[in-house]
Amino acid sequence: MTRAVTTRWTVSAALLAGALGTAGFTVAPSYAADSAKVYIVQGLPGDNLDVAVDGKTVATDVKTAAVVGPFSVRPGTRKVTFTDNGKVVLERTFGVKARSSWDVVVHLPESSDKATLTVFRNDLSSVPKGKASLTVAHTASVPAADVRVNNKVLFSNIANGQALNLIVPVATYKVAIVRTGKTSPVLLGPVSLTVQGGALNRVYALGDPSKKTMNVAVHVIATGTSGSATPHRVNTGTGGQAAGSAPSLVVTLIP
Amino acid sequence: MATSSPSGSTSGAGGCPTGPRRPRTARRLTAALLVLGGLAVGGCAGPGTAPGAQPPAAGSARPDTSGADPTQSVPAAREGRPGPTARIRFVPTRVVLPGGSEAPVAPAETVDGELKVPEDVAHVGWWDGSAAAGDPFGHTVIAGHVDSATEGLGYFARLLRIKPGEVVTVTGAGHRLSYRVISVRTITKQTLATSGSIFDQTGDPRLVLITCGGTYRRGTGYDSNVVVMAEPLGPAH
Repeated sequence: MTRAVTTRWTVSAALLAGALGTAGFTVAPSYAADSAKVYIVQGLPGDNLDVAVDGKTVATDVKTAAVVGPFSVRPGTRKVTFTDNGKVVLERTFGVKARSSWDVVVHLPESSDKATLTVFRNDLSSVPKGKASLTVAHTASVPAADVRVNNKVLFSNIANGQALNLIVPVATYKVAIVRTGKTSPVLLGPVSLTVQGGALNRVYALGDPSKKTMNVAVHVIATGTSGSATPHRVNTGTGGQAAGSAPSLVVTLIP
Repeated sequence: MATSSPSGSTSGAGGCPTGPRRPRTARRLTAALLVLGGLAVGGCAGPGTAPGAQPPAAGSARPDTSGADPTQSVPAAREGRPGPTARIRFVPTRVVLPGGSEAPVAPAETVDGELKVPEDVAHVGWWDGSAAAGDPFGHTVIAGHVDSATEGLGYFARLLRIKPGEVVTVTGAGHRLSYRVISVRTITKQTLATSGSIFDQTGDPRLVLITCGGTYRRGTGYDSNVVVMAEPLGPAH
Protein backbone atom coordinates (compact mmCIF):
# COMPACT_ATOMS: atom_id res chain seq x y z
CA MET A 1 0.00 0.00 0.00
CA THR A 2 2.64 2.50 0.94
CA ARG A 3 4.32 2.24 -2.43
CA ALA A 4 1.21 3.05 -4.34
CA VAL A 5 0.33 6.13 -2.40
CA THR A 6 3.32 8.30 -3.04
CA THR A 7 1.80 10.16 -5.95
CA ARG A 8 -1.80 10.99 -5.15
CA TRP A 9 -4.39 9.46 -2.98
CA THR A 10 -7.36 10.22 -0.91
CA VAL A 11 -7.53 9.98 2.81
CA SER A 12 -10.94 10.06 4.37
CA ALA A 13 -10.51 10.78 8.01
CA ALA A 14 -13.99 9.55 8.73
CA LEU A 15 -13.25 6.27 7.04
CA LEU A 16 -10.08 5.75 8.98
CA ALA A 17 -11.84 6.61 12.19
CA GLY A 18 -14.33 3.87 11.46
CA ALA A 19 -11.59 1.40 10.80
CA LEU A 20 -9.87 2.44 13.99
CA GLY A 21 -12.98 1.72 15.98
CA THR A 22 -12.94 -1.90 14.97
CA ALA A 23 -9.23 -2.29 15.53
CA GLY A 24 -9.28 -0.68 18.96
CA PHE A 25 -7.94 -2.53 21.95
CA THR A 26 -8.40 -1.80 25.56
CA VAL A 27 -6.10 -2.97 28.27
CA ALA A 28 -7.04 -2.96 31.88
CA PRO A 29 -10.36 -1.19 31.43
CA SER A 30 -10.85 -1.42 35.16
CA TYR A 31 -8.56 1.51 35.89
CA ALA A 32 -10.28 4.27 37.74
CA ALA A 33 -11.68 7.33 36.06
CA ASP A 34 -8.38 9.13 36.48
CA SER A 35 -6.62 6.91 33.97
CA ALA A 36 -5.03 8.29 30.81
CA LYS A 37 -5.92 7.18 27.30
CA VAL A 38 -3.04 6.28 25.05
CA TYR A 39 -3.08 5.67 21.30
CA ILE A 40 -0.15 4.18 19.45
CA VAL A 41 0.67 5.61 16.03
CA GLN A 42 2.89 3.37 13.91
CA GLY A 43 4.95 5.77 11.82
CA LEU A 44 7.82 3.52 10.78
CA PRO A 45 7.71 2.65 7.10
CA GLY A 46 7.84 -1.00 6.14
CA ASP A 47 7.49 -2.51 9.59
CA ASN A 48 4.77 -4.49 11.27
CA LEU A 49 5.29 -3.97 14.96
CA ASP A 50 4.13 -5.54 18.18
CA VAL A 51 3.51 -3.08 20.98
CA ALA A 52 3.80 -3.58 24.73
CA VAL A 53 2.98 -1.08 27.44
CA ASP A 54 4.76 -1.70 30.74
CA GLY A 55 5.76 -5.10 29.45
CA LYS A 56 2.26 -6.19 28.53
CA THR A 57 1.46 -6.71 24.86
CA VAL A 58 -1.39 -4.46 23.77
CA ALA A 59 -1.31 -4.82 20.00
CA THR A 60 0.37 -7.07 17.48
CA ASP A 61 1.32 -6.77 13.84
CA VAL A 62 0.57 -3.05 13.67
CA LYS A 63 1.18 -1.86 10.14
CA THR A 64 2.72 1.38 8.95
CA ALA A 65 0.35 4.35 9.34
CA ALA A 66 -2.01 2.40 11.57
CA VAL A 67 -3.32 3.84 14.81
CA VAL A 68 -4.36 1.52 17.64
CA GLY A 69 -6.00 2.26 20.94
CA PRO A 70 -7.14 3.75 23.13
CA PHE A 71 -5.39 1.91 25.91
CA SER A 72 -6.20 2.95 29.44
CA VAL A 73 -3.08 3.39 31.52
CA ARG A 74 -2.33 4.73 34.96
CA PRO A 75 -1.04 8.29 35.11
CA GLY A 76 2.68 8.63 35.62
CA THR A 77 5.65 7.23 33.77
CA ARG A 78 4.89 4.33 31.48
CA LYS A 79 7.12 2.27 29.25
CA VAL A 80 6.39 1.31 25.68
CA THR A 81 8.26 -1.36 23.75
CA PHE A 82 8.07 -1.94 20.02
CA THR A 83 9.23 -5.27 18.70
CA ASP A 84 9.53 -6.79 15.28
CA ASN A 85 9.64 -10.58 15.31
CA GLY A 86 10.71 -10.49 18.91
CA LYS A 87 13.56 -8.07 18.26
CA VAL A 88 13.24 -4.81 20.14
CA VAL A 89 13.02 -1.92 17.70
CA LEU A 90 12.55 0.81 20.27
CA GLU A 91 11.86 1.14 23.96
CA ARG A 92 11.04 4.42 25.70
CA THR A 93 9.40 5.79 28.78
CA PHE A 94 6.77 8.48 28.54
CA GLY A 95 4.75 10.47 31.04
CA VAL A 96 0.97 10.80 31.04
CA LYS A 97 -1.38 12.78 33.24
CA ALA A 98 -4.74 11.68 34.60
CA ARG A 99 -7.89 12.14 32.49
CA SER A 100 -6.01 13.03 29.36
CA SER A 101 -5.42 11.63 25.90
CA TRP A 102 -2.05 10.99 24.26
CA ASP A 103 -0.68 9.90 20.91
CA VAL A 104 2.49 7.86 21.28
CA VAL A 105 4.19 7.94 17.90
CA VAL A 106 7.04 5.73 16.78
CA HIS A 107 8.64 7.28 13.72
CA LEU A 108 11.81 8.31 11.91
CA PRO A 109 13.81 11.31 13.13
CA GLU A 110 14.78 14.10 10.74
CA SER A 111 17.95 12.57 9.37
CA SER A 112 18.49 8.99 10.40
CA ASP A 113 16.86 5.65 9.85
CA LYS A 114 16.76 4.84 13.57
CA ALA A 115 13.37 4.86 15.17
CA THR A 116 12.44 7.51 17.70
CA LEU A 117 9.40 8.16 19.85
CA THR A 118 7.43 11.37 20.26
CA VAL A 119 4.46 11.76 22.55
CA PHE A 120 1.76 14.34 21.81
CA ARG A 121 -1.05 15.32 24.12
CA ASN A 122 -4.44 15.37 22.40
CA ASP A 123 -6.45 18.52 23.02
CA LEU A 124 -10.03 17.30 23.08
CA SER A 125 -11.65 20.70 23.64
CA SER A 126 -14.96 20.91 21.85
CA VAL A 127 -14.98 22.43 18.38
CA PRO A 128 -17.59 24.86 16.98
CA LYS A 129 -20.35 23.27 14.93
CA GLY A 130 -19.34 22.76 11.31
CA LYS A 131 -15.66 22.98 12.14
CA ALA A 132 -12.82 20.63 12.84
CA SER A 133 -9.68 20.83 14.90
CA LEU A 134 -6.85 19.93 12.54
CA THR A 135 -3.36 19.15 13.79
CA VAL A 136 -0.52 18.41 11.42
CA ALA A 137 2.49 16.70 12.95
CA HIS A 138 5.91 16.27 11.36
CA THR A 139 7.18 12.77 12.04
CA ALA A 140 9.00 12.17 8.76
CA SER A 141 12.64 11.95 7.80
CA VAL A 142 12.72 15.43 6.26
CA PRO A 143 13.90 18.87 7.43
CA ALA A 144 11.52 21.56 8.65
CA ALA A 145 8.51 21.69 6.38
CA ASP A 146 5.57 23.82 5.29
CA VAL A 147 2.15 22.32 4.86
CA ARG A 148 0.36 23.82 1.88
CA VAL A 149 -3.40 23.61 2.09
CA ASN A 150 -5.34 24.45 -1.09
CA ASN A 151 -2.06 25.89 -2.44
CA LYS A 152 -1.53 28.25 0.49
CA VAL A 153 0.92 27.76 3.34
CA LEU A 154 -1.36 27.18 6.30
CA PHE A 155 1.14 25.48 8.59
CA SER A 156 4.70 26.76 8.29
CA ASN A 157 8.11 25.72 9.48
CA ILE A 158 7.30 22.54 11.39
CA ALA A 159 10.31 20.49 12.44
CA ASN A 160 10.39 16.78 13.18
CA GLY A 161 8.60 16.19 16.47
CA GLN A 162 6.55 19.36 16.22
CA ALA A 163 2.89 19.91 15.39
CA LEU A 164 0.60 22.82 14.59
CA ASN A 165 -3.13 23.10 15.13
CA LEU A 166 -5.87 25.11 13.45
CA ILE A 167 -9.64 25.24 13.63
CA VAL A 168 -10.91 24.85 10.07
CA PRO A 169 -14.30 24.44 8.40
CA VAL A 170 -15.39 20.90 7.63
CA ALA A 171 -14.33 20.38 4.04
CA THR A 172 -12.03 18.41 1.80
CA TYR A 173 -8.61 20.02 1.56
CA LYS A 174 -5.76 19.47 -0.82
CA VAL A 175 -2.71 19.06 1.37
CA ALA A 176 0.92 18.97 0.27
CA ILE A 177 4.13 19.04 2.28
CA VAL A 178 7.21 20.90 1.07
CA ARG A 179 10.44 22.08 2.61
CA THR A 180 10.00 25.33 4.50
CA GLY A 181 9.87 28.26 2.11
CA LYS A 182 9.79 26.11 -1.03
CA THR A 183 7.06 25.06 -3.39
CA SER A 184 8.93 22.10 -4.85
CA PRO A 185 9.81 19.33 -4.69
CA VAL A 186 6.62 18.17 -3.05
CA LEU A 187 7.66 15.72 -0.33
CA LEU A 188 4.20 14.35 0.21
CA GLY A 189 0.93 14.70 -1.62
CA PRO A 190 -1.03 16.47 -2.73
CA VAL A 191 -3.42 14.48 -0.60
CA SER A 192 -7.14 14.98 -0.54
CA LEU A 193 -8.00 15.21 3.14
CA THR A 194 -11.58 15.31 4.37
CA VAL A 195 -11.65 16.53 7.93
CA GLN A 196 -14.31 15.33 10.32
CA GLY A 197 -16.38 17.91 12.17
CA GLY A 198 -16.66 17.95 15.95
CA ALA A 199 -13.40 16.09 16.18
CA LEU A 200 -9.68 16.42 16.55
CA ASN A 201 -8.13 15.34 13.26
CA ARG A 202 -4.46 14.52 13.73
CA VAL A 203 -2.46 14.04 10.56
CA TYR A 204 1.04 12.60 10.78
CA ALA A 205 3.45 12.96 7.91
CA LEU A 206 5.77 9.99 8.10
CA GLY A 207 8.37 8.09 6.11
CA ASP A 208 11.40 9.07 4.08
CA PRO A 209 11.12 10.67 0.63
CA SER A 210 14.52 9.34 -0.43
CA LYS A 211 13.16 5.83 0.01
CA LYS A 212 9.76 6.70 -1.41
CA THR A 213 8.07 5.75 1.82
CA MET A 214 6.28 9.02 2.58
CA ASN A 215 2.81 8.37 3.93
CA VAL A 216 0.26 9.79 6.32
CA ALA A 217 -1.39 8.41 9.41
CA VAL A 218 -4.69 9.99 10.33
CA HIS A 219 -6.11 9.82 13.82
CA VAL A 220 -9.59 11.19 14.46
CA ILE A 221 -10.97 11.58 17.98
CA ALA A 222 -14.45 12.98 18.59
CA THR A 223 -14.47 16.09 20.75
CA GLY A 224 -18.09 17.18 20.76
CA THR A 225 -19.24 20.51 19.42
CA SER A 226 -19.70 23.93 20.91
CA GLY A 227 -21.52 27.03 19.79
CA SER A 228 -25.03 27.81 18.63
CA ALA A 229 -26.60 27.92 15.18
CA THR A 230 -26.20 30.71 12.64
CA PRO A 231 -28.52 33.56 13.62
CA HIS A 232 -31.21 34.85 11.28
CA ARG A 233 -32.05 37.94 13.28
CA VAL A 234 -30.10 40.42 15.34
CA ASN A 235 -32.42 42.76 17.28
CA THR A 236 -30.27 45.26 19.06
CA GLY A 237 -32.35 48.38 19.45
CA THR A 238 -35.49 48.95 21.47
CA GLY A 239 -35.28 52.61 22.38
CA GLY A 240 -35.07 54.58 19.18
CA GLN A 241 -32.66 57.11 20.66
CA ALA A 242 -30.10 56.39 17.95
CA ALA A 243 -32.61 56.68 15.11
CA GLY A 244 -31.65 59.03 12.34
CA SER A 245 -27.95 58.85 12.95
CA ALA A 246 -27.38 55.69 10.92
CA PRO A 247 -25.45 55.80 7.66
CA SER A 248 -27.87 57.05 5.03
CA LEU A 249 -27.20 54.42 2.38
CA VAL A 250 -29.46 51.41 2.82
CA VAL A 251 -28.30 48.37 0.92
CA THR A 252 -30.70 45.57 0.24
CA LEU A 253 -28.66 42.52 -0.55
CA ILE A 254 -30.11 40.12 -3.06
CA PRO A 255 -29.93 36.60 -1.67
CA MET B 1 2.74 -6.22 0.28
CA ALA B 2 0.01 -4.90 2.42
CA THR B 3 -0.29 -8.08 4.40
CA SER B 4 3.30 -9.17 4.57
CA SER B 5 3.92 -11.34 7.56
CA PRO B 6 6.25 -10.23 10.31
CA SER B 7 8.81 -12.78 9.22
CA GLY B 8 8.71 -11.57 5.66
CA SER B 9 10.01 -8.55 3.91
CA THR B 10 9.68 -5.99 6.65
CA SER B 11 13.26 -5.94 7.81
CA GLY B 12 14.81 -4.49 4.71
CA ALA B 13 12.17 -2.11 3.48
CA GLY B 14 12.03 0.40 6.27
CA GLY B 15 15.65 0.16 7.19
CA CYS B 16 14.89 0.59 10.85
CA PRO B 17 15.40 -2.60 12.69
CA THR B 18 18.16 -4.12 10.61
CA GLY B 19 21.17 -2.15 11.67
CA PRO B 20 23.63 -3.55 14.15
CA ARG B 21 22.19 -3.51 17.62
CA ARG B 22 23.58 -1.06 20.03
CA PRO B 23 26.75 -2.07 21.83
CA ARG B 24 26.82 -2.33 25.57
CA THR B 25 28.89 0.79 25.93
CA ALA B 26 25.72 2.64 25.24
CA ARG B 27 24.53 2.40 28.80
CA ARG B 28 26.34 5.57 29.76
CA LEU B 29 24.87 7.24 26.71
CA THR B 30 21.46 6.11 27.77
CA ALA B 31 21.91 7.74 31.13
CA ALA B 32 22.96 10.92 29.38
CA LEU B 33 19.87 10.76 27.24
CA LEU B 34 17.75 10.38 30.32
CA VAL B 35 19.24 13.56 31.71
CA LEU B 36 18.76 15.35 28.43
CA GLY B 37 15.23 14.02 28.23
CA GLY B 38 14.52 15.45 31.65
CA LEU B 39 15.87 18.80 30.56
CA ALA B 40 13.78 18.70 27.45
CA VAL B 41 10.62 18.13 29.40
CA GLY B 42 11.47 20.94 31.77
CA GLY B 43 12.21 23.28 28.94
CA CYS B 44 9.13 22.57 26.88
CA ALA B 45 6.98 25.27 28.30
CA GLY B 46 4.86 25.55 25.20
CA PRO B 47 4.42 27.84 22.24
CA GLY B 48 6.21 30.69 23.93
CA THR B 49 9.48 28.84 24.18
CA ALA B 50 12.26 30.36 22.16
CA PRO B 51 12.62 28.73 18.76
CA GLY B 52 16.19 27.80 19.54
CA ALA B 53 15.25 25.83 22.61
CA GLN B 54 14.69 22.57 20.82
CA PRO B 55 14.68 19.39 22.81
CA PRO B 56 17.53 17.11 21.89
CA ALA B 57 16.55 14.86 19.06
CA ALA B 58 16.72 11.48 20.67
CA GLY B 59 16.95 9.92 17.25
CA SER B 60 20.22 11.57 16.45
CA ALA B 61 22.01 9.62 19.12
CA ARG B 62 21.33 5.97 18.59
CA PRO B 63 17.85 5.54 19.84
CA ASP B 64 17.83 1.77 19.45
CA THR B 65 17.26 0.31 22.81
CA SER B 66 18.95 -2.29 24.87
CA GLY B 67 15.88 -4.32 25.58
CA ALA B 68 17.99 -6.23 28.06
CA ASP B 69 17.12 -4.46 31.23
CA PRO B 70 13.57 -3.19 31.18
CA THR B 71 13.58 -1.82 34.70
CA GLN B 72 16.14 0.90 34.29
CA SER B 73 18.01 3.02 31.82
CA VAL B 74 15.11 3.25 29.42
CA PRO B 75 15.38 6.65 27.74
CA ALA B 76 12.46 9.01 27.81
CA ALA B 77 10.38 9.76 24.75
CA ARG B 78 10.53 13.15 23.17
CA GLU B 79 7.68 15.45 24.03
CA GLY B 80 5.76 16.63 20.97
CA ARG B 81 5.78 20.41 20.78
CA PRO B 82 4.01 23.14 18.88
CA GLY B 83 5.98 24.52 15.97
CA PRO B 84 7.44 28.04 16.25
CA THR B 85 4.69 29.46 14.04
CA ALA B 86 1.82 28.25 16.21
CA ARG B 87 -1.12 30.53 15.56
CA ILE B 88 -2.73 32.33 18.46
CA ARG B 89 -6.51 32.20 18.64
CA PHE B 90 -8.72 33.57 21.36
CA VAL B 91 -12.33 34.29 22.18
CA PRO B 92 -12.71 38.08 22.41
CA THR B 93 -13.56 39.38 25.86
CA ARG B 94 -13.10 43.10 25.12
CA VAL B 95 -13.47 45.29 22.07
CA VAL B 96 -11.86 48.69 21.51
CA LEU B 97 -13.49 51.01 18.96
CA PRO B 98 -11.84 54.00 17.23
CA GLY B 99 -11.43 56.72 19.82
CA GLY B 100 -10.40 54.25 22.47
CA SER B 101 -13.65 53.42 24.24
CA GLU B 102 -13.89 49.79 25.31
CA ALA B 103 -16.64 47.35 26.15
CA PRO B 104 -16.71 43.84 27.60
CA VAL B 105 -17.61 41.04 25.20
CA ALA B 106 -19.58 38.02 26.46
CA PRO B 107 -20.43 34.85 24.54
CA ALA B 108 -23.87 35.12 22.92
CA GLU B 109 -26.12 32.28 21.82
CA THR B 110 -28.56 31.97 18.99
CA VAL B 111 -32.00 31.13 20.39
CA ASP B 112 -34.81 30.38 17.95
CA GLY B 113 -32.85 32.04 15.17
CA GLU B 114 -32.13 35.23 17.08
CA LEU B 115 -28.71 36.15 18.40
CA LYS B 116 -29.22 36.98 22.08
CA VAL B 117 -26.82 39.79 22.92
CA PRO B 118 -26.30 41.04 26.49
CA GLU B 119 -29.23 43.09 27.82
CA ASP B 120 -26.80 45.63 29.30
CA VAL B 121 -26.27 48.14 26.47
CA ALA B 122 -22.71 48.78 27.69
CA HIS B 123 -21.83 45.15 26.87
CA VAL B 124 -21.72 43.35 23.55
CA GLY B 125 -21.91 39.67 22.58
CA TRP B 126 -19.68 37.36 20.54
CA TRP B 127 -21.71 34.77 18.63
CA ASP B 128 -20.46 31.53 20.16
CA GLY B 129 -20.68 29.66 16.86
CA SER B 130 -18.40 32.10 15.08
CA ALA B 131 -14.66 32.11 14.57
CA ALA B 132 -12.30 33.00 17.37
CA ALA B 133 -10.00 35.95 16.75
CA GLY B 134 -6.92 34.60 14.96
CA ASP B 135 -8.66 31.67 13.28
CA PRO B 136 -7.60 31.21 9.64
CA PHE B 137 -11.16 30.98 8.33
CA GLY B 138 -14.51 32.57 9.10
CA HIS B 139 -16.07 35.68 10.52
CA THR B 140 -15.77 36.64 14.17
CA VAL B 141 -19.20 38.10 14.87
CA ILE B 142 -19.85 40.61 17.68
CA ALA B 143 -23.24 42.26 18.13
CA GLY B 144 -24.56 44.79 20.61
CA HIS B 145 -27.35 47.24 21.32
CA VAL B 146 -27.50 50.56 19.59
CA ASP B 147 -29.97 51.65 22.28
CA SER B 148 -32.67 50.39 24.61
CA ALA B 149 -35.90 51.82 25.95
CA THR B 150 -34.67 51.55 29.51
CA GLU B 151 -30.93 52.25 29.24
CA GLY B 152 -30.66 54.75 26.40
CA LEU B 153 -27.81 54.72 23.88
CA GLY B 154 -25.72 51.58 23.73
CA TYR B 155 -21.97 51.13 23.29
CA PHE B 156 -22.45 50.04 19.69
CA ALA B 157 -24.20 53.32 18.80
CA ARG B 158 -20.59 54.25 17.99
CA LEU B 159 -20.83 51.95 14.95
CA LEU B 160 -23.14 54.50 13.33
CA ARG B 161 -20.16 56.86 13.01
CA ILE B 162 -17.37 54.39 12.23
CA LYS B 163 -15.51 54.85 8.91
CA PRO B 164 -13.63 52.52 6.58
CA GLY B 165 -9.92 52.60 7.36
CA GLU B 166 -10.41 52.99 11.10
CA VAL B 167 -9.02 50.37 13.45
CA VAL B 168 -10.93 48.09 15.82
CA THR B 169 -9.09 45.90 18.33
CA VAL B 170 -10.31 42.85 20.22
CA THR B 171 -8.54 41.36 23.21
CA GLY B 172 -8.88 38.21 25.28
CA ALA B 173 -6.81 35.75 27.29
CA GLY B 174 -3.84 38.11 27.21
CA HIS B 175 -3.88 38.35 23.41
CA ARG B 176 -4.94 41.04 20.97
CA LEU B 177 -5.76 41.40 17.32
CA SER B 178 -6.44 44.62 15.42
CA TYR B 179 -8.59 44.95 12.31
CA ARG B 180 -9.04 47.68 9.71
CA VAL B 181 -12.61 48.55 8.81
CA ILE B 182 -13.28 47.78 5.15
CA SER B 183 -17.01 48.45 4.89
CA VAL B 184 -19.97 49.84 6.81
CA ARG B 185 -23.36 48.81 5.47
CA THR B 186 -26.95 49.21 6.52
CA ILE B 187 -28.83 46.06 5.60
CA THR B 188 -32.56 45.53 6.02
CA LYS B 189 -33.24 42.95 8.69
CA GLN B 190 -35.07 40.68 6.28
CA THR B 191 -31.96 40.25 4.17
CA LEU B 192 -29.42 39.98 6.98
CA ALA B 193 -29.54 36.20 7.16
CA THR B 194 -29.90 35.58 3.45
CA SER B 195 -27.11 37.87 2.36
CA GLY B 196 -24.84 34.93 2.93
CA SER B 197 -21.66 36.72 3.74
CA ILE B 198 -22.38 38.21 7.17
CA PHE B 199 -22.09 35.03 9.20
CA ASP B 200 -19.74 33.16 6.86
CA GLN B 201 -17.49 30.64 8.59
CA THR B 202 -15.56 29.26 5.63
CA GLY B 203 -14.01 32.25 3.87
CA ASP B 204 -11.29 34.70 4.84
CA PRO B 205 -11.11 35.80 8.47
CA ARG B 206 -13.05 38.99 9.22
CA LEU B 207 -14.36 40.83 12.23
CA VAL B 208 -18.06 41.61 11.83
CA LEU B 209 -19.72 44.10 14.18
CA ILE B 210 -23.52 44.29 14.12
CA THR B 211 -26.02 46.64 15.67
CA CYS B 212 -29.37 48.11 14.67
CA GLY B 213 -30.04 51.06 12.41
CA GLY B 214 -32.18 52.39 9.60
CA THR B 215 -35.67 53.60 10.36
CA TYR B 216 -37.09 53.21 13.86
CA ARG B 217 -40.79 52.63 14.43
CA ARG B 218 -42.43 52.21 17.80
CA GLY B 219 -43.65 48.69 18.10
CA THR B 220 -41.52 47.18 15.37
CA GLY B 221 -38.20 48.84 16.23
CA TYR B 222 -35.42 49.36 13.73
CA ASP B 223 -35.90 48.01 10.21
CA SER B 224 -32.22 47.46 9.48
CA ASN B 225 -28.92 46.30 10.85
CA VAL B 226 -25.69 48.23 10.58
CA VAL B 227 -22.89 45.81 9.72
CA VAL B 228 -19.22 46.75 10.01
CA MET B 229 -16.76 44.45 8.27
CA ALA B 230 -13.04 44.60 9.15
CA GLU B 231 -9.99 42.64 8.07
CA PRO B 232 -7.15 41.53 10.37
CA LEU B 233 -4.00 43.66 10.28
CA GLY B 234 -1.83 40.62 10.95
CA PRO B 235 -1.76 37.56 13.14
CA ALA B 236 -3.01 37.67 16.72
CA HIS B 237 -0.33 38.19 19.33
